[in-house]
Amino acid sequence: MTQRTRNLLLLAPAGTWFLVMLIVPLTVVLVFSFGERGASGGYVPAFTLEQYANLPARWAAFKNTLMLAPIGTFAALVIAYPLAYYLAVLASPKWKTMLLVLVIVPFWTSILIRSYAWIFLLGGRGIPALLELIGIEGVRLINTPFAVLVGIVYGYLPLMVFPIFVSLDRLDKRLLEASSDLGATRIRTFLQVTLPLSLPGIATGSLLVFILLMGEYLIPALLGGGKVFFVGNALVDLFLQSRNWAFGSAVAATLVIIMLISVTLYMRLISKLGAQREDVSLM
Amino acid sequence: MQRDDTPISKKKFMEELYRYKKGSVSRRHFLGVTGLGMASAVMGAAVPGLRPLPAFAAGDIGDRVILATWPNYHDPANFDAFTEATGAHVQVNVFGSNEEMLAKLQAGGSGWDVYVPTNYTISTYVAEDLIEPLDTSRLPNYDATAYDPRFAEAGSVDGTLYAVPKNWGTTGLAYNSKHTDGVKLDSWKQFFDITKESFSGRTMVHDYQLTTIGNALKYFGYSFNSVDPAELADAEKLLLEVKPHLFAISSDYQPAMRNGDAWLTMCWTGDGKQMNTDMPEIEFVLGKEGGELWSDYYAIPKGAPHMDAAYALINFLLDPQVNAKEVLAHGYPSADAHTNALLPAELLNDPILYPAQELLSALEFGAAATLTDPNRAELMARFKSA
Amino acid sequence: MRLYSIFVYLFLYIPIGVIAVFSFNAGRHASQFQGFSTQWYGKALNNPFVMDALQTSLTVAFFSALCASLFGTMAAVALQGIKGPVRTLFDGLIYIAVMIPGIVIGIATLIGLVTLFDLVNPAIAAIWPEGAKPPQLHMGMGSLIAAHTMFTMALVVIIVRARLAGMDRSLTEASSDLYATPMGTFRQVTLPMILPGVLAGFLLSFTFSFDDFIIAFFVAGSETTLPIYVFSSIRRGVTPEINAIGTMVLAASLIMLITAQILLRRGEKRKS
Repeated sequence: MTQRTRNLLLLAPAGTWFLVMLIVPLTVVLVFSFGERGASGGYVPAFTLEQYANLPARWAAFKNTLMLAPIGTFAALVIAYPLAYYLAVLASPKWKTMLLVLVIVPFWTSILIRSYAWIFLLGGRGIPALLELIGIEGVRLINTPFAVLVGIVYGYLPLMVFPIFVSLDRLDKRLLEASSDLGATRIRTFLQVTLPLSLPGIATGSLLVFILLMGEYLIPALLGGGKVFFVGNALVDLFLQSRNWAFGSAVAATLVIIMLISVTLYMRLISKLGAQREDVSLM
Repeated sequence: MQRDDTPISKKKFMEELYRYKKGSVSRRHFLGVTGLGMASAVMGAAVPGLRPLPAFAAGDIGDRVILATWPNYHDPANFDAFTEATGAHVQVNVFGSNEEMLAKLQAGGSGWDVYVPTNYTISTYVAEDLIEPLDTSRLPNYDATAYDPRFAEAGSVDGTLYAVPKNWGTTGLAYNSKHTDGVKLDSWKQFFDITKESFSGRTMVHDYQLTTIGNALKYFGYSFNSVDPAELADAEKLLLEVKPHLFAISSDYQPAMRNGDAWLTMCWTGDGKQMNTDMPEIEFVLGKEGGELWSDYYAIPKGAPHMDAAYALINFLLDPQVNAKEVLAHGYPSADAHTNALLPAELLNDPILYPAQELLSALEFGAAATLTDPNRAELMARFKSA
Repeated sequence: MRLYSIFVYLFLYIPIGVIAVFSFNAGRHASQFQGFSTQWYGKALNNPFVMDALQTSLTVAFFSALCASLFGTMAAVALQGIKGPVRTLFDGLIYIAVMIPGIVIGIATLIGLVTLFDLVNPAIAAIWPEGAKPPQLHMGMGSLIAAHTMFTMALVVIIVRARLAGMDRSLTEASSDLYATPMGTFRQVTLPMILPGVLAGFLLSFTFSFDDFIIAFFVAGSETTLPIYVFSSIRRGVTPEINAIGTMVLAASLIMLITAQILLRRGEKRKS
């Protein structure tokens, strides 16, 4: 057996798996997206661009997703960064692992149960009731875009903290000392040394969170009260309520195309940024 | 199955119902004569439907049965009793709309043994070959003559029995009267108008196109079942106008109503009864313009994995003793005379369960066309995503 | 900075604390505390459907993680020694598998497999011997394991390749210079080096599969996994039973984590 045959044999199971469970299904989605809805739902073979022409009917869902996914990613980043910085640079080595594990543990509980906790916390008997005690009345939190944003940040914070922590942890602390020895202010040190060096972590964390948010269904469904509608919610309704497989396939195909484009552009941008700084190795 | 000792013949029942509908007899008279009321309590004891449960040896029917139904629609204690009697555990899956049930069955492999479709969907299930014809010899507790035909007839399609009646009810509105300054709500017009004003952020509508679009249609006085594009356009405009003022779009409104987050919701009979019992300030009324009258059925999906258990469960739940406990727990009226014979008079005179005639006659049954109408489905999607 | 971190930890743990506190609620309703009770733990543990769902989730997670780490590692090792179109193809597949949202994987698998089964089932029935009931392919545990494996396999390939990339190539070269068979080289040199990566991949796959809701929502057929059960219960109007389940899952994760830490520490001490 030549080395090449052996390698191909080793690749065979994974290749078959990808073929049956990835290529075939995605092809079916693509084919269905040019079809028509059956009289009582499902799919009827046809070749029409009608489904794609009908996409503006879900424009609001795409708009919500394309707005809330970057905002959610950014909010998670802003909240995660100082914590990652604290863990990597400031925390005593004795507690570091422990503290890091504590960030990850919540991630091990089902996102369902964690979101469910927020249904209570943001509902009338939760935080708004506490606010009433200090005289702020009439605050409504649950079933708003804000509630969805809280759920997103809460759900995906660990995914953001971890990569940033890793990139900051690798950072040579002597660089920071050198910078301050040379008379740089702390802010200047941060902007010119720390931040650029943690860029790979920021890039990885943001990408992970962004990808998950683009297909999000659960958090808006549970914390948005059916009013905050993502593409994911539109897809679930199309397949599990109105049974419009053809149009649903067109929406799914469009979502994948948008993601392919935005993620590829994002990676290009990041590697360009990285190329300007030779000392930064990416991902 | 021939029964000569039923309390009232089908023909007689129809006559009485007709008189009742015309308003020439009172509800009490109607309930009394037809055996739906307290007068039949005595008769009930002699009715053969009240025989004791057929005993199953544990394991006869397998150890499980899967039921697809609606939220807050059963007495959990009855399931425990079923498990005790038969050894089969009941798994309950709840749904928010008939569309969701249909979609799940169409995708295949739902795994359900029993499900609870609403009257207007059954013909579609038959057309799609997703429903099993019922063998009445395996449902000894089912006495066709005991049912109010209005709430039983949709169970048969082209003379074949596919589904047996569970409960019937209405879709009205429930509101928290603490927040209305003494004003009584009684119409869909008020429902949507008040939502735009003093109830802004406190109203819930169903995540269910039939009732949400249907009641918006009633605002304009159109048919609840309209598929007319111009009328649907009006309903859509109204729904989009109120959307920013809604608390949520969800068919699971009890938690939010109970904890005070929501003050007003579209509401099914039994949910209204359950909330009103625990919190009298939550009142249930029908919109005077009309709305939905419905009837739910027990049915078995094609290829149910535990067929024996499915029949056993349906038969168990049809037992008037069991069914009466169900009604007491969930507050949805039954169309079964034997069951009603066992219920207390207060319940049978409850205006939530049995609304006044002029309100009832304004209601419409859902129409099969709305279930698969693509325009209504798309309207709902546009409303939700806006 | 420290104060800020404390705030973030509070943000992370208050909701979990609330879940845990309400799991001991004596009342039925999840939003009002009506006295202390452990009854919901008893109810959850005695509820055959919770136990069934747990068993389904564990089975699916175990088998998909097993398949994913086995086939993923095989692919990662093979890809080391391959260049050209095959490699480009696999790189593309892995990129797509990781990047596509779970919901699209769920939908695509659902309609893809339903279409495939509609073609295959009549064919099986046609060649099946007269009289015997032909098997029907349908959505269920098999399709769920297959879908989870597809996604997590891509993760395993990425992790193991990272490990292989960091490996000193001269070691394998030395091994084959010493006339070790390719299998011997793999067993003696490569495997020990990549094993931590394989194990990490297995654990990650297991966790992913155990927590997944959205793919299972579409492809699980009649099977109920724990997340599906929880989702359905949240919609039914929740009792503290869900809180009890959540608290138990969290406690189990914590115990696993702490045990793993202790074992690792011991291993390190023995080495030094």
